[in-house]
Amino acid sequence: MIEQIIVNGILASLIYILMALGFTLIFGIMRIVNFAHGEFYMIGAMVMLMLFGSMGLPYFLAVLLAGLLGGLLGVVAERLLFRPLVGDELAGMIMSLAIGIILQSAILLTFGPAEQSVTRPFSGTWHLFSAAVPWDRTVVAICALLILVIFYLFMKYARLGLAMQAVAQDPETASLVGIEPGTVYASAFGLACLMAGLAGALMAPVYTVGPYMGELPMLKAFVVVILGGLGSLPGAVLGGLLIGLSESVVTTLFSSTIALIVSFVLVLMIVVVRPTGLLGRGAR
Amino acid sequence: MRNRYLYLILVVLALVPWLLGNRYVFHVATMITIMIPMALSMNLMLKIGQLSIAQPAFMGIGAYGSALLAMRLGVPPVLALLAGALIATAIAVVVGPLFLRIKGVYFVLLTYAFGQIVNLVFQEWTTLFGGNNGLYGIPKFSIFGVRLTQSPHYYALGLLLLALFYALMRRIERSDIGAIFESLNENEMLSRSMGSDALGWRIGSFALSAFIAGVSGGVYAFYIGFLSPETFGFLMSVDLIVVNAIGGVASALGPVVGAILILPLPELLRDAREYQLLIYGVCLVVFLLFFRQGLVVFLQRKRRA
Repeated sequence: MIEQIIVNGILASLIYILMALGFTLIFGIMRIVNFAHGEFYMIGAMVMLMLFGSMGLPYFLAVLLAGLLGGLLGVVAERLLFRPLVGDELAGMIMSLAIGIILQSAILLTFGPAEQSVTRPFSGTWHLFSAAVPWDRTVVAICALLILVIFYLFMKYARLGLAMQAVAQDPETASLVGIEPGTVYASAFGLACLMAGLAGALMAPVYTVGPYMGELPMLKAFVVVILGGLGSLPGAVLGGLLIGLSESVVTTLFSSTIALIVSFVLVLMIVVVRPTGLLGRGAR
Repeated sequence: MRNRYLYLILVVLALVPWLLGNRYVFHVATMITIMIPMALSMNLMLKIGQLSIAQPAFMGIGAYGSALLAMRLGVPPVLALLAGALIATAIAVVVGPLFLRIKGVYFVLLTYAFGQIVNLVFQEWTTLFGGNNGLYGIPKFSIFGVRLTQSPHYYALGLLLLALFYALMRRIERSDIGAIFESLNENEMLSRSMGSDALGWRIGSFALSAFIAGVSGGVYAFYIGFLSPETFGFLMSVDLIVVNAIGGVASALGPVVGAILILPLPELLRDAREYQLLIYGVCLVVFLLFFRQGLVVFLQRKRRA
């Protein structure tokens, strides 16, 4: 039982972290709370439905293409819609809300409201100690880990990744040493949406897909990021693990709705007591 | 008065349901008179520079509060309506000092989480609130022995309350309080150094906004006679944001104009309701990019030019 709770918790955590990292990256760099983040997850899953489910493309190629499309959409949205509003937190937030409802209703109009399922590429389970682990979730977990490692290496060693960290820390000094903020904005937004798209594509065969599927992962990412500290990348990882595991415990003992209430009460308390979250820096 | 024509148009519009005499038109108009005070309550919070996603939750508290008082305890509807709104106000006064210390993005997230919790409680506590199946059998509103049974009655009640709240908002805007709100927005440090109690004013306007939302909720409950948690969810906040963004935040006239333009849309698009949110989204984008001050300011500037 305990092993099962831990395994379920970690499997959920990895996807939460994937969503939360992008969400927190956008906030750290652009000071925008991206309410549309769940919609990029949904877009990833819908592309997966088309490419893998209907057209029969190879699984991993379809996941990659779905993620890339999410990322591309993110870059376009940043360049055309968010860029004119830089510096206006409230307007940026409302813009993300607008983009979210546009994406959601566009998918609703093209695919209809029904939940659809994507063929499962892997089936069966294996056992880790006494816990049953489905193969499809295992593949998702391995892919998510791989993406996280690549993301870590990118942020730590790539020029662009370093530039993103610099802008997040201090945009003025960053521009003094010749970092173009525009490029960083667009690429950070694109990277965040790429990860959301990949997360959605990976999860598409696990659950059903539909226009409203992005709402729950968005809520989770939001809770995780507040817990870890808005704008903090290590905080997103820690928060993701904490929320994934605690939720697994509460869901097993009570129900998933109670788990949601618990996590919102947690958010409320954290913002009131320590608004910077567990690992967040002080206000700029 | 620069707004004279606008007011004239609004008064004529308010009379339209009686001219048409159509029950359906009365229903739509009644819903608008219930939603405009909601938009005003969000506008009041925006005036102090805070986007509150908690307004539908306060409306829900007012609605469930007054409905339950009238149903279970047999409280006269007028008192139940007032008590429901006061419960919402009391909750705002309790959480206000905690919430309003925090500004900007974190405040939005706080009110969002608060709204979600309230809604989940409505859903989960089925013995009291009826859960997702809804709360049935709310009695009709009555005042001085007159029972309000049809939508024209509720439309009249809605208009009356709307006029009251609007007049109150305009008064606040033009008074010293309005000036204090503006100064807190412009330069809080300076404003506080001149002796304005920033947190006190913020809590005051949060409480007033909760009261307005609570009254709207009560009227809604008595009018519809049935409550379900999803009514008071995040989508209503989206509606209120759209209404404020299109009309403009600067004046209380903004949300009124925005509401009259936007809220009948779902009714006109009845055969294609899926397009409603798409249109909301596109409207938001256009106004954010090109008319960030909103329609009212845009029209006023144009006339002056």
